Amino acid sequence: MTREMLTGNAAAAWGVRLAEVDYVPAYPITPQTEIIEMLAKWISNGDVDATFVTLDSEHSMITAAGAASATGVRVFTATSSQGLLYGFEMLYTVSGWRVPFVMVNVSRGLSAPITLEPDHNDILAARDSGFLQIHCETCQEVLDSILMAYKLAEDERVLLPVFVNMDGFYLSFTREPVEIPDKEQVRKFLPVYRPHHAYFKASKPMAQGVAVLGGPVYSYFKYQMHLASMKAIEVYKEVSEEYKKFTGRNYDTVEGFMVDDAEYVLIMSNSFSTLGKAAVQNARKNGLKAGLIRLRLLRPFPADDIRKMIRGKKAAAVIDQNISIGNGGILYAEIAGVMYNEKKMPLLLSFIGGLGGKSIGSDEFEYVIYSMVRAVETGRVELPRLLYTETEWKEMEKVKEMAGRRECGELENEK
Amino acid sequence: MKMLRVRFHGRGGQGAKVANRILGTAAFIEGYHAQDFPLYGAERRGAPIAAFTRISREQILERGVISNPDVVIIMDETLLDDPLAHPLSGLKQGGTVFVNTMHSQSEVKDKYMFRNFKLFKDEMLHSVQHDNKVILSGIEESNVTLSAEVITLDITKIGLEMLGKLVLSALAGGIASKISGLGEDALKRAVEKELSEFIPERELVVKNREAAVHCYRAIRPVKIETTEAEHKGSPVIDLPFEPAIVSSPAINTVGNTPSRKTGNWRVFKPVWNYDMCTKCMICVARCPDGCITVNEDGFPCTDYDNCKGCMICVEECPSKAIERVREVHAW
Repeated sequence: MTREMLTGNAAAAWGVRLAEVDYVPAYPITPQTEIIEMLAKWISNGDVDATFVTLDSEHSMITAAGAASATGVRVFTATSSQGLLYGFEMLYTVSGWRVPFVMVNVSRGLSAPITLEPDHNDILAARDSGFLQIHCETCQEVLDSILMAYKLAEDERVLLPVFVNMDGFYLSFTREPVEIPDKEQVRKFLPVYRPHHAYFKASKPMAQGVAVLGGPVYSYFKYQMHLASMKAIEVYKEVSEEYKKFTGRNYDTVEGFMVDDAEYVLIMSNSFSTLGKAAVQNARKNGLKAGLIRLRLLRPFPADDIRKMIRGKKAAAVIDQNISIGNGGILYAEIAGVMYNEKKMPLLLSFIGGLGGKSIGSDEFEYVIYSMVRAVETGRVELPRLLYTETEWKEMEKVKEMAGRRECGELENEK
Repeated sequence: MKMLRVRFHGRGGQGAKVANRILGTAAFIEGYHAQDFPLYGAERRGAPIAAFTRISREQILERGVISNPDVVIIMDETLLDDPLAHPLSGLKQGGTVFVNTMHSQSEVKDKYMFRNFKLFKDEMLHSVQHDNKVILSGIEESNVTLSAEVITLDITKIGLEMLGKLVLSALAGGIASKISGLGEDALKRAVEKELSEFIPERELVVKNREAAVHCYRAIRPVKIETTEAEHKGSPVIDLPFEPAIVSSPAINTVGNTPSRKTGNWRVFKPVWNYDMCTKCMICVARCPDGCITVNEDGFPCTDYDNCKGCMICVEECPSKAIERVREVHAW
């Protein structure tokens, strides 16, 4: 075991190296490129015994990943943002093939306007695809999650592909100390992949990914995917228990931070949860019983675990780093769905924050926490709100002025 | 010690990212919690970039840009005049600034710090860089004169002499390690570790290590009092509706590209000796940026606001009439 300063991207590459994958179809995109650069280097110098192929697009890349996995080899690939959307059709297709490969998504806001920094509209667009989803807060967690993801995906009760998600820049390019486990130990946790369901043998022909006509047949296959995904919660818990024994690091489906005696909880995901934890500590210093719930396993959605954690709290505030245009925060709606029909559930507030990598400042966190306190006092929950400060608004006014937009609007008004 | 926050400012290609990593690794070697992070996206070579290192005895519950640094390392003095880089913004009162310059400490104080601070206050709101919004807001609310420990050293000169190259990563890493109070041994190991990753020639790694140590020893130690980030309140607002004629991402203003000068990261500039010039105009034809034009007397001359200092004209001139002169201070 060694400890090194690694970026989230490098941690991902190390996870893949330790998983001893056989095949890496690749296509670069900022901020994911470093992952495949490292793998390409290791494969070319012999450190990793795998086949590396650059494809002509993410659509081909995901197809290649699914097809290779269907022959019974261990496959890894990675993308981000626009790339994920470009390959979108194949996400549903390969998950329907029931192929257990692992794919990293480095979150980046979606165009237009085009940007590079993170929010989760890319990965959450894929939430209904059949891929399982693990969302990471730290670089260490990225490495660990890739190893856990293979174990989870390849379990015969699951056999679905898994996304491991990390934020662009805030994790992908950020270095922090990461423990790299020994190869021999990883092999004990994650043995060589020898599947029974997928193979490529001339003596044993098999057709995979067949077409169906007729609702009952289609419904059967789709619902089996759903059942397998729900089953994956139980499998995940076994995997994380085993991983904990192996590394000492514990990854529950949902992480609770100072949550046991908390009255007011933030609900967040990914790397901005770190900022939320600092805000919780500050609130505690001011005598407020705050806590944080971090959503880690997002598909399947661990409804029971979430319910258990928020039951009895006074208020909870979901900070969605995404926006479903025309409805609001995606995770807010999912959490609300978990709570409906339940007793002793807290008031639930909704905030949108961190779109396109906009930082969430301590003032904004204070605002969120204070809004929970006020909601409890008045019994009224205000409308969902974008976290956006006056300073940012003033700067945006200047940007509009420079771009001639303000003037443009005024001319229009005069007509 | 509370968390130490260090911000590097350099230009793409100068080595700010690796300098930042050297500091992060040196702190990690000494047993600190460390986090380092460069900020760049679609930047070209020469564009201002920033990088951030956090060093702490405790777990680091921060991410992203550092808007209130204790230490600022400026690897290219021309950035002080660049409204997009604004390297001094948000620096804590009593913080430490290192400037890579030929000028002395007092000259820098007179020349840049105070003048520049005012300039930022006036021009701040006209400068736009989406990534650095937080940094911008630090200056806006500050009315006090900036008081800072200033350290100067011409590391460009040291780089040229000791490495024969203009890559300053190890040198700036040495400076930052000293200011951050890290040991020389940790610095050496960090330089080895970071540079061996991508420099195959052993000799060059050793030269870099020596240059880093040289810089480390060339400056005096600094006593740094880390404080918690200054808390400046800005209320959360309700973002109002605006019609698409205002709120769609389009630009109506025209013809403003020339107002963004692109030539201020030169290390060398071409200077013509008209006594030797034959007006052959080869330099005009060869300039990749179209910066060389012809003056009233028919001699070639360059637009220093946009000349990148690539020195192709110097190489191409058949009569050796163009001299390569070290840029002391752009415009």
